Amino acid sequence: MVWIVSFARYMKDRWKTGVLLLFVLITAGILGLVYSVSWNISVYTAAGITAAFFLGNFLEYQSKKSYYEDVFGKFNRLEEKYLIAEMLEPADTMEEVLLAEILQEANKAMLEKVNAYKYIQEEYKDYIELWIHEIKLPIATSKMIIENNKSDVTKRIEEELNEIEGYTEQALYYARSSHANKDYCVRRCRVKDVVGEAVKRNKQALINQRIKIQIEQADQIIYTDSKWLGFILNQIIQNSIKYRRETEAEICFIGEEKKDKVILLIRDNGIGIKPGEVSRVFDKGFTGSNGRIGKKSTGIGLYLCKKLCDKLGLGIELSAQENVGTEIRITFPKNSFTDLSEE
Amino acid sequence: MDKILIVEDDEKLRQELALFLIRNGYDCTGLERFDNTLEDILALDVDLILLDMNLPNMDGGYVLKEYRKLSDIPVIVITSRDNEMDELLSMHYGADHYVTKPFNTQILLAKIVAILKRTKGPASQEKISCGQFVLNLSKSRIEKEDRIAELTGNELKIIKILVKNKGNIVNREDIMNDLWDSEAFIDDNTLTVNITRIRRKLEEIGLQDIIETRRGQGYILLDN
Repeated sequence: MVWIVSFARYMKDRWKTGVLLLFVLITAGILGLVYSVSWNISVYTAAGITAAFFLGNFLEYQSKKSYYEDVFGKFNRLEEKYLIAEMLEPADTMEEVLLAEILQEANKAMLEKVNAYKYIQEEYKDYIELWIHEIKLPIATSKMIIENNKSDVTKRIEEELNEIEGYTEQALYYARSSHANKDYCVRRCRVKDVVGEAVKRNKQALINQRIKIQIEQADQIIYTDSKWLGFILNQIIQNSIKYRRETEAEICFIGEEKKDKVILLIRDNGIGIKPGEVSRVFDKGFTGSNGRIGKKSTGIGLYLCKKLCDKLGLGIELSAQENVGTEIRITFPKNSFTDLSEE
Repeated sequence: MDKILIVEDDEKLRQELALFLIRNGYDCTGLERFDNTLEDILALDVDLILLDMNLPNMDGGYVLKEYRKLSDIPVIVITSRDNEMDELLSMHYGADHYVTKPFNTQILLAKIVAILKRTKGPASQEKISCGQFVLNLSKSRIEKEDRIAELTGNELKIIKILVKNKGNIVNREDIMNDLWDSEAFIDDNTLTVNITRIRRKLEEIGLQDIIETRRGQGYILLDN
């Protein structure tokens, strides 16, 4: 937005004062005629009054122009437009005082509204977290019952339970990811340990589907929330299992230490992704043609991975080739914090 | 027999957990009332405690903190609160290990074994005698009179499972499950190769055909 009000446009708003000027000029003319004032003096007076009128208005216009140009300038430079009320110069005129007051009041009202929604959202997130902790108890108990009563039937039930557990966890991280606060905890951990945990969690499916696991050079130290990272790896592994090739499926984890970062590559030899769809895999709800042919996909997994990586300050990229495989690259930046910590 | 105390307010989980631990050779008791948790725990003489964080009346974290001032008995925290902060806090309060619900029972069992072994000193588990040969766990080898066969890490783990189930069929999936729990992510082919190597090593010290393959079922270490 810019100040584009010309003087003519400004005067158009003040047409009432123009009428007044006309009235004054006519009255003065009539008085001049009645008292037979000389023609010269009449013209001089009329010109004087008109000039004073326009000059006065022009000065007013100039002062308003400089004020609003200042306001618009600040407004345009502001990232958060609603903060304009805090940026205004101390008000001089009545109009400026009123404008500042209105802006401040409007902001306050809006903030209250925003806070109300924030509160509702926070409450909902707390409820989701609580609910998830509650649901974990019956899942744990069911698993114990299965452990104590092993049979082919309970084994099959356990597989379903694992799926329930997976979806439950996804919900927990979804709630966490859309929350404004940082509720993660950065700690020193080894790539190998986090990868190992994630692989172990999918043990059953990986063994049943005869998927080969390779972990290479994964001794690097990284600083991150290992639980969040574990969840991300879990989603990736589950995708690799879901979209595996029929025989000799393989998932490979490779760590790589660079000068300013550590990279973790997760490479599978599965069915890959169509070239046109690769760029959209991190979009929410995107299922792609793989997700639609038989293998149900929610379009949430990778979306969440990306969101969580953004929050943790990690990079995540995906490249894939149809019928060859998919490769995901997670980048852990090294920063000054890393350098200062004890080895 | 090692005695384990379960401090968990959910009755069903407590019973199932106790049943599981008893089946795996532990003496197990559970607290049933939680109005005097700390005193009740202190009154019992146990070797290890499984402690839930979410207890009625008194928070598990507080119980742990107070308990640590008075006793060194190992404590494994079991909780459904799955975040780094709670884990850090539990460790800070003096927990020996932290598992989140729903937990992998085999991993829990392995942790219990490891912690008890550390606190009570190496048990008699150093050497397992199997009649025809002795499995030396600390030296990772099979001994038969004066003949010795050295084993690799994975081979030791596999033969250990077979020895534990001597005379019974162990299926391949169970062996792989066990190996994967200790982060040896071997695949089907590698397992076959390992079994072949173990057989060859056993033959070298004069033990022929003591591991049999039961097609479609698994392997069996013959009991004679």
